[in-house]
Amino acid sequence: MLDIDDIPNPNRLRRLGRAKEKPGIVTDMNSMVDMAFLLLTFFMLSTTMYRPRGMELVMPVPDDEKTRTEEVQAVKASQALTLIAMPENKLYYYRGLPEAAGFKPLTYDKAGLRNFLQRFAQETEKPVVLLKPHPDCAFENLVILLDEMNINRIGRYAIDRVSEQELDLMRSAGIPVPNS
Amino acid sequence: MRSSALSRPKTPQIDMTPMVDMAFLLVTFFLLATTFKTGEIVWVQMPRSVAGLNLPMTDLLTVFVDKDGRAYLSLTSPPARRAWLQRHAQVNQVQYTEEEYRAFEMMSGFGVPSTQLRELLQKSPEERKRFVQTGIPAKVGDKNELADWIILARATIPRLRIAIKADATTPYKKVEDVIKTLTDINVLRFTLITQPKKLDDDAGY
Repeated sequence: MLDIDDIPNPNRLRRLGRAKEKPGIVTDMNSMVDMAFLLLTFFMLSTTMYRPRGMELVMPVPDDEKTRTEEVQAVKASQALTLIAMPENKLYYYRGLPEAAGFKPLTYDKAGLRNFLQRFAQETEKPVVLLKPHPDCAFENLVILLDEMNINRIGRYAIDRVSEQELDLMRSAGIPVPNS
Repeated sequence: MRSSALSRPKTPQIDMTPMVDMAFLLVTFFLLATTFKTGEIVWVQMPRSVAGLNLPMTDLLTVFVDKDGRAYLSLTSPPARRAWLQRHAQVNQVQYTEEEYRAFEMMSGFGVPSTQLRELLQKSPEERKRFVQTGIPAKVGDKNELADWIILARATIPRLRIAIKADATTPYKKVEDVIKTLTDINVLRFTLITQPKKLDDDAGY
């Protein structure tokens, strides 16, 4: 039951072979592919997809100390929270006005700082936060505090210097304070 | 011809053309998208934050503060750097040679007092890498070279953005000096450069 076409006919094979041959020149692309991928790898590795990212910080207009303290005092004690970043990643806070018994420790992690700020922002009308980094604390601590302000949508906050009075109160509360 | 067609098993012929097309397309993309990594003036381990403000790649002046508190300045784009140095030369009445200008264009930033600047510019790129830069004096006092340089940069580029890239472990007082320097010359809006972190990540302490 062989079909007539299946008979290996030398002439037919030749014809088939010719028909398969592409017209024009067949180039060997392999080396070109090699080169293209080599270049591709080089550029992929050498390229920097990095774009600097950051947080915007807007500082108040510097004015004399007098107007500044007046402004701070205009905030009601019940609205105010002060966060003091100490060296060695220690964090303390007090509500309202500073007093020795008011200083309480806090941790930088989610369970500590973020939960606390969330509660503070919820239960306080117009919350105001003062960030007071100690001169010797790590810059990272301030960044975390600023970041938490943004995360918890606390719009009113300021960076200030930690005062000698506060440091003295902390000393009297038994909190280790480095001498600066 | 006949014998080969009969005996040799057909090797599969793969058409490479689309692959080549694609590879070259990608090469072209990376070629155009790439900006070669210019060695940064100092290595800084940035603190992490969830803030995602993208900074422009042009018209940006970065104040680097390394972990010992030394300040360095880095201005994007070489032509701007040349104009910056020209202004500095004009104001301080010093002359720089063409080679020194070219060296300043090539450096992404510097961190020496202006008295040492010429010495730094005259070094070869290899020597410069080994040269210990002591930082631009930022002490808030009657003379603040950091402030002078920033004022000159702002005069050179009207739409200048200013960023602080400080190390996570830098003592805050060193960063505070830089912030004070900025606010004193009425730069009240600036950016702290951080590296991204996820909302749920903790600092690890």
